[in-house]
Amino acid sequence: MTHAIQIAMAFLGSLGFAVMFHVKGIKLFFCGLGGAVTWAIFLGVKIFGDSIIGGFFIATLSASLISEILARKIKAPVIMFLVPMLVPLIPGSDLYYTTSHLINNRMQEFGSGLTLLLQKVGAMAFGIILMASFVQIFLYGKQSFLKGLMRLKKKT
Amino acid sequence: MDVAINSTLEANQKLLTYIMDLGEILLKSGAEVNRVEDTVTRIGKAYGFCRVDVFSITSSIVVSAHDPQGDVFTETRRITRYITDLDKIERVNRLSRKICAKPLDETELLEAIDQIKNAEGYSETAMFFTYGLISAAFSIFFGGTFNDGITAFLCGLVLRVVLRLGRKMDLQNIVINFFTSAAVGIGAIVMIKMGLGQNMDKIIIGNIMLLIPGILLTTSLRDMINGDLVTGIMGLGDAILRSLAISFGFAVVMAWFGGGII
Repeated sequence: MTHAIQIAMAFLGSLGFAVMFHVKGIKLFFCGLGGAVTWAIFLGVKIFGDSIIGGFFIATLSASLISEILARKIKAPVIMFLVPMLVPLIPGSDLYYTTSHLINNRMQEFGSGLTLLLQKVGAMAFGIILMASFVQIFLYGKQSFLKGLMRLKKKT
Repeated sequence: MDVAINSTLEANQKLLTYIMDLGEILLKSGAEVNRVEDTVTRIGKAYGFCRVDVFSITSSIVVSAHDPQGDVFTETRRITRYITDLDKIERVNRLSRKICAKPLDETELLEAIDQIKNAEGYSETAMFFTYGLISAAFSIFFGGTFNDGITAFLCGLVLRVVLRLGRKMDLQNIVINFFTSAAVGIGAIVMIKMGLGQNMDKIIIGNIMLLIPGILLTTSLRDMINGDLVTGIMGLGDAILRSLAISFGFAVVMAWFGGGII
């Protein structure tokens, strides 16, 4: 039940951020839905794979893949979908608790909080870059495959 | 003859200014620096410059363009205010695609740029309620009750008002963050005293999502991995300072009201 509520709230949150960033029309709905899917994937990995960082990584990878596909279908920049979709993963509460530990001079908690924060953010950043590179490799492969096919056709 | 040369020089310089206008819109609206560099280069090449060197960081764009006659044109832009507007990024993207397929003439280009600059975003009222919605959603998302959600919604409205006031007074971002978080803290305490919400931290965290530069933190790391080290480090520094300012704003309020520092 709590998971269902969380996924629903991820939808609303992503939708809200999409409005805040002036996304318009049907794309708003895609952004919200993408946010919900991203969080659902994270929960799935966390529950079945028992890994929070892995969950962040895989959820970011899938959010990137979904936004790359959407961006190519609608001919819009990738970040238009990617940024709102990643919003549920943004470790806002970790960032807040970590800095409040620092201000209150609780250095031990600060250290472990900072480590977790960097792990999460790092997993997300790597996920974004990795999927963008995969897409680049895929497109290159597709292009050279088509070129080869054309050459074959010309020969016959 | 001289007049003709001067007029092409002037025309090319003007053209570069228009191209830089597009780059500036992109950067101001929160596009990645490599997108800005890429777009300016592409459009420049489409308009017949044979070599375009662009360097962009979060706060500035520098460009030199060579035309086939061997003249070099250059321009610098400094950007100080950013408002994330993905719609504008999409519009520039569409225009750039169009230009690369077939360059527009000067009046058309000018018109297209004006159109993008004056594109209407969502109204202030819509923004106002969106802020409330986001904080309510994330307050429940992080484990708050329904009542916490309502309290967070009201705090989100307060946040938007203070944020707008701060921007109107042209305060520094860091200072704005400090004041908004303090205002949200006071709002949350008052509403809990009135018996509206229960969990202080969940209400605050819902509002934090609006302030905390989490996206900035992620994108700055992405920029660094992507090779844009300067931009990444600037973003990282900004994110750290801002989150410190936010925590400090809450800490001051909590200490003031003696409710124990969170």
